[in-house]
Amino acid sequence: MQPDIDLKALMVRYQDGDPVAAAALVHSLSGPLHRFFMVQIVSRRYADDLLQETWLRIHEVRHTYRPGEPVLPWLYAIARHVRVDHYRKVRRVETRERQVEQLPEIAAAPAEASDRDADLAALLSGLPESQRDVITMLKVLNMSIEEVARATSSSIGSVKQKAHRAYVTLRERLSGTRVTS
Amino acid sequence: MNGPEPEEILNRAAGAPHEVDPALLARISDSLVSGLRPVRPLPPAWVLASALFAITAAVALAGGTALGLKGIARLNALEITSIFGVLGAFTWISAVHCVAETTPGSRRRLSSGTVLAAGSLVLAGVFALLFHDYRTTRFVHQGLVCLTLGLAHGLAAGLAGWLVLRRGFAVNPMAAGLAVGTLASLAGVGMLELHCPNLETLHVVVWHTAVIPVSAFAGVLLARFIRRNN
Repeated sequence: MQPDIDLKALMVRYQDGDPVAAAALVHSLSGPLHRFFMVQIVSRRYADDLLQETWLRIHEVRHTYRPGEPVLPWLYAIARHVRVDHYRKVRRVETRERQVEQLPEIAAAPAEASDRDADLAALLSGLPESQRDVITMLKVLNMSIEEVARATSSSIGSVKQKAHRAYVTLRERLSGTRVTS
Repeated sequence: MNGPEPEEILNRAAGAPHEVDPALLARISDSLVSGLRPVRPLPPAWVLASALFAITAAVALAGGTALGLKGIARLNALEITSIFGVLGAFTWISAVHCVAETTPGSRRRLSSGTVLAAGSLVLAGVFALLFHDYRTTRFVHQGLVCLTLGLAHGLAAGLAGWLVLRRGFAVNPMAAGLAVGTLASLAGVGMLELHCPNLETLHVVVWHTAVIPVSAFAGVLLARFIRRNN
């Protein structure tokens, strides 16, 4: 991904109506965004849908980005919102339609992800959503603690605590797997 | 032999390339670029927070003046300074928090629940320290009148505040509803401190402070209703 300073300039040009900047943002940020969704839901089709939904939402609320502020926290805050909204809608549909037909489980959709994404998703699957988000942003997307705190609407202390708890859980799980194997 | 540590697995995953379908990217780019127009970014956070602060103070002052400044007339200088100092600080913190809740990726030092709980407790503590009349004359009746008046002013402040925040985007609508409800309630509390001449300790601590959580809860319910119908 390009350095954040370039993203800030691109965001300002996007707000000014520059189509080249809009396309550049889509191409530089979609990979990490897509990975963010893949880690959570595995199915490429749903990740594609969420990616499109996220960009549409970003387009609608692009005026809420303040020039000079970091771009990634703004972007991932919206992406998390889109994902939550998506789950909520799916749950609502499932609740309404369960009586007449059986819907396929989203989380159990066939693993179309790369092996590494699937391994990562499996590793993180037992964690609570908030911890999974923190670990994904910190370690997979290489965001700073400050950026993750902003993206998740939390304090820096809370992010550190979630990351620590997630590591403890992951270590326990891995050591449990070793003992079993 | 030891297996991999979590960091190793995560680092390997972070280093792996991740491709997105180029056709999908082209589709997204095309949809964004078609009819792309310039937009005006949100004003700086301090401008929005100042506007919210001014609205809250204006609603409190207008309400207190219209109903009669009988409450503040009974307060001494220490009571006026303490109560309105704490109210002013709480209002500013709530205003800043409301702006953060409606701007994605903003820095947060406190959660909406913490702002509500800490602010309410501090205000109730100040009331308890300042007033020492422990009678309870017509406790429920007078209390309900104050609660209703406070909430009505909170509603007015909430509607005016919405005009300031309407261009924002709440990534967590419930937290934003809680924050806006808390801020709006402070217009009601401010009005009560200007107007209400009843300085009985329990009346002020219970009923004046109760405006804050009730209004915050109403904000959450409203946010939930709006989200369900969107």
